[in-house]
Amino acid sequence: MMELKDLENRSIYILREAYAEFNRPAVLWSTGKDSTATLWLCREAFFGKIPFPVIHIDTTYKFKQMYAFRDNLAKEWGMNLIVARNEVAITEGVGPEDGKFECCTKLKTQALMKCLDEHKFDALILAIRRDEHGIRAKERYFSPRDGDFKWDYKDQPLEMWDQYQSITEDKTHTRVHPILHWRELDVWEYVKQKNLPVNPMYFAKDGKRYRSLGCEPCTGTIDSDAKTIAEIVEELKVTKIAERSGRAQDKEKAFTMQKLRALGYM
Amino acid sequence: MNVNVVIVGHVDHGKSTLIGRLLYDSDSITEGRVEEIQRLAEEYKRRFEFAYFIDSFDDELKEERTIDTTGVMFKGKHLYTITDVPGHKEFIKNMLSGASHADAAVLVVAAEEGIQEQTGRHAFLIHMLGIKQLSVLVNKMDAVDYKEEVFQDVKDRVAKLLASLGYRQVDFIPGSAMEGDNIYKGSERMKWYQGPSLIEALDTVELSKEVKSLRFAVQDIYSADSEKVVVGRVESGTLRKGDEVIFRPSGVKGTINTIEVYGAKLEEANTGDSIGITTNCAPTRGDVCGLIKSPPVTTKEFLGEAVLLGDNLKQGETVELRCGTKRVKCAIKEIKEKLNSETGEVMDKHAAQINEHEAATIVFATEPLVVEKFSDIPELGRFVLARDKNIAAGIVLEPSA
Repeated sequence: MMELKDLENRSIYILREAYAEFNRPAVLWSTGKDSTATLWLCREAFFGKIPFPVIHIDTTYKFKQMYAFRDNLAKEWGMNLIVARNEVAITEGVGPEDGKFECCTKLKTQALMKCLDEHKFDALILAIRRDEHGIRAKERYFSPRDGDFKWDYKDQPLEMWDQYQSITEDKTHTRVHPILHWRELDVWEYVKQKNLPVNPMYFAKDGKRYRSLGCEPCTGTIDSDAKTIAEIVEELKVTKIAERSGRAQDKEKAFTMQKLRALGYM
Repeated sequence: MNVNVVIVGHVDHGKSTLIGRLLYDSDSITEGRVEEIQRLAEEYKRRFEFAYFIDSFDDELKEERTIDTTGVMFKGKHLYTITDVPGHKEFIKNMLSGASHADAAVLVVAAEEGIQEQTGRHAFLIHMLGIKQLSVLVNKMDAVDYKEEVFQDVKDRVAKLLASLGYRQVDFIPGSAMEGDNIYKGSERMKWYQGPSLIEALDTVELSKEVKSLRFAVQDIYSADSEKVVVGRVESGTLRKGDEVIFRPSGVKGTINTIEVYGAKLEEANTGDSIGITTNCAPTRGDVCGLIKSPPVTTKEFLGEAVLLGDNLKQGETVELRCGTKRVKCAIKEIKEKLNSETGEVMDKHAAQINEHEAATIVFATEPLVVEKFSDIPELGRFVLARDKNIAAGIVLEPSA
């Protein structure tokens, strides 16, 4: 699989550039397939260890299988795991019934903001991919954010070849996207090739499976009979269903994803 | 094979529409997306547009123009990554960001408008980026009743422009992205045209397999199990265990003891590989490694060509130059020739400054670094200039001036 190797080579290059250019990087881990593959790429890049903290944003609404998967793998891979929560919003009882935009912003974006501020991280490694969503297709590999977390998508940096913009004078942190160029199918082929652990929720049960994992109230299943990684790979080669079709916050209204991301959502 | 194709051309000549058409005809649109776009079109009281598959920002849909570059993929003979870029002059930096990884380009020229400002500028810039495989789509043939003489006229003019920029052997395809003629399928309406459809032209794209000298760019030094691992990427050629090498500009020499990736030791590494090595010398980030018998050369002055995407750049000014993993201070020693980035023509000799969107050949005086002639080893023959952000992109014409 020459092509997977090319994808991996570039991702490793990006991770090593980020590690060389920033003082305090961290990687965000949702426990889903993309960010788990990204953690593996970190292990590939840094010879087995992940040399910076791994942040998990806990909205308290995640599936319980996600928490179990997280705790097991964090131990197995020796992660320095930081669990970030917006305790104020959680105490106030913020939830999806307040509106998905409001809920995602408070429980995810603001929890992350607080975490970055506390730990003074200057780079945040994220497992977003261009083929997931039209808005994510617009991203750069290195994407600067200001103190309010704003993504200035109308004035993105010049990013030629592999000269990523790492200068962040008036910016608080840079988002680093090492698997931006991967497709969903590539991620699963990589999972298969490297035999990476994945949450069993991705596998079909009673004709349904989760294709993308998020919070329990806002994440739905797709019809599928794929019970193994190999069957998922085969399914993705022919599917015409969008990957995030089970994710409610993307399509509450037109451009919700853009508005969420402009405010610092992942 | 994964082929990266960038679609360039003037605003409103139909770049995003073309990509939407390619996705649609190649059956790459996900379920529900067509209906979603129909809903959006109704909301904005517009007719259904193929461009809506690509443009994602609400401003892009409202203003009906692409603001930033997008990458989409579809499977044909090759796995294509198609990059859409904005056609407005104010978004040239986004256009360049999108075009910089391309193997081939499609220049879209609307039949009823012909050459416009960004037609020339985009053609000039992709030529500078070293993209040699170019197809020209003379688009919107439906708007000129599919007339052969209109196609011929546009073709002649564009061919002249491209020849002056140095292009040879370019396919010219009459088509309509909106109606689907000669894009993914042929055309019943232009029987006078016998050449390839756009996708057939793209299917013939070849990736360079030229054998080149070894260049390994050092990214970092990691300490693992009491030994130092030098990590980086093979930018060109092949690195083998046991190779006698030199690192420049630091000048240290050594032997490649091991080539490592996580969990394995390799006998050799090839172009593009991200690896670690152990060696009996101590290079640093920014060094370039080559074989003793064909070593990289350190330079302090070189001739380059650059296009400016930020505020003006003055002769005598010092900026940061980034090439490979090296960052150095660099002075603009002499602006030799200012070039018109629409035509490539020399505008001015010995100018005192260049302005945004202008290009120039420049003598750079730098701290010691390794650069290669762009036409020999492009990976180390291209650079960006930065102030508080990246402001210019350039290529190396002569490594020592």
